[in-house]
Amino acid sequence: MQTTLNTIVLQVEGLHVNYGAFQAVSNVSFDVRAGEIFGLLGPNGAGKTSTLSAVEGLLQPQSGHITVAGYNVKENPLLARANLGVQLQATNFQPELTVAEILQLYAGIHGVPLTKEKLQNILVSIKLEDAAKKRFGQLSGGQQQRVSLIIAMIHNPQLLLLDEPTTGLDPQSRRQLWERMENLRSNNHGILLTTHSMEEAEAVCDRIAIIDHGKIIAIDTPQVLIDKHRNDPEVISVSRKGKITLEDVFIGLTGRTVRS
Amino acid sequence: MTTTTIPTTKAVLSSLLRADFTTQWRNRKSVILILLIPVIILISWQGLVNKLGGPFVLSNCITIGLNAIGLMGYSNATARDRDKGIFQRLRVAPLTAWPIMASRLTVQLAMILLLTTAVFVAGYYVDHISLSPAGYAVGFAMAFVGGAVYLGLGQAIVGLIKNAETVNAVTRLVYFVFIMVGMFAELGALGDKVGNAVKWSPYGTVKHILSAGMQPATWNQHSSMALFVTIGYALVFSVLGIKWFRWSSK
Repeated sequence: MQTTLNTIVLQVEGLHVNYGAFQAVSNVSFDVRAGEIFGLLGPNGAGKTSTLSAVEGLLQPQSGHITVAGYNVKENPLLARANLGVQLQATNFQPELTVAEILQLYAGIHGVPLTKEKLQNILVSIKLEDAAKKRFGQLSGGQQQRVSLIIAMIHNPQLLLLDEPTTGLDPQSRRQLWERMENLRSNNHGILLTTHSMEEAEAVCDRIAIIDHGKIIAIDTPQVLIDKHRNDPEVISVSRKGKITLEDVFIGLTGRTVRS
Repeated sequence: MTTTTIPTTKAVLSSLLRADFTTQWRNRKSVILILLIPVIILISWQGLVNKLGGPFVLSNCITIGLNAIGLMGYSNATARDRDKGIFQRLRVAPLTAWPIMASRLTVQLAMILLLTTAVFVAGYYVDHISLSPAGYAVGFAMAFVGGAVYLGLGQAIVGLIKNAETVNAVTRLVYFVFIMVGMFAELGALGDKVGNAVKWSPYGTVKHILSAGMQPATWNQHSSMALFVTIGYALVFSVLGIKWFRWSSK
């Protein structure tokens, strides 16, 4: 499938995920297009990770329809995953392996030939040319995120899932990651991003969906969401600086209660 | 027009095997510990070889090593990797689940091969125990069958317990109980009742098939029954372990 701008690279329709009697995701539908950064925002336990896990094929939803690059996740899981790059929230790699060995492993399991020259180019591209023989655990948080992102991209997937990728990063590393995401977007990759940072969502996302109690309660561009809800009493009541921000809209829509 | 590439099973397995063998190599301290205890027993039991017999001593040492591989090595590594999300990271790649486990089990089979070879070599040079070629061959085969019991038991414990630290504590306890009760009962120190119970336990049957396998001429009906029970243990533990196993600890 050749991707052009506006090609749908991820389609989620009527997704339901239950854990026993608990309904984690209820009738969630959205799509992500090529050349788009789509943010999935929600408080803790809102259903973001369950939605991502269903897209990744790590859990079987009760019902719903998910396609990645046109491949149904349930019927063609391998083809769907071959078009999917994932940076997991709890991503970790074998701490005994070096950066070069981890890159070789993930290139191998994605069927990507990795010559020494190509490996070196990858390391140069993430400014880790001197770290090839360093073990993953010896890298800084920012360096680990760069490795993790390049591994998610190693097979040039059409869709990237980034689960809270900037958590724990310093402002410089975070800005650098935003630039990398924007480069990927300009190369026509579709990105599904989850984050707790409204600043990040506002800065990089083309569209966002706010999910709460397993349901999508708002979906649009950040600016349209702000404009649409700027006069809501709940939003005005949580505004701190006199100017309505995406964070105000988010808290106004999902409530002030701290979720566990 | 771009096409979607699914990696071949050979490419996937070779990448996983290289990573898993490298990981095992970098953990060579734990490998040395697994090999050290049987070798120490071989050295300290030098004076008992004539009384107990070479195959008895060798089978005892291999059984202890197999316990360590299945209970301490495999289960703890699996629990740690599950806890760190390493399995989930692999599972989002375009591969089925079986090569991930097949690669890890291959590393454990190599460990069983290494352990058995080390015990045979140390037994030959330290205790001057030599077996017939058939004895060595059947000994290796029985080590793999016996190893499957403890790998299955390790898998069942990892399946039953999600927390990696609890897995570590439980496997140490089970290892200690198996070794102490098994060894002392075999030496007749715990009485007939416990001795008979241990004879048909995972420790006793594995030790018996190893010992009988090393001297094929002595293989009898009891040995066949012990082999049958050993295979049963391996199947039951493995089936339960696979059934209970979850890829994520969350």
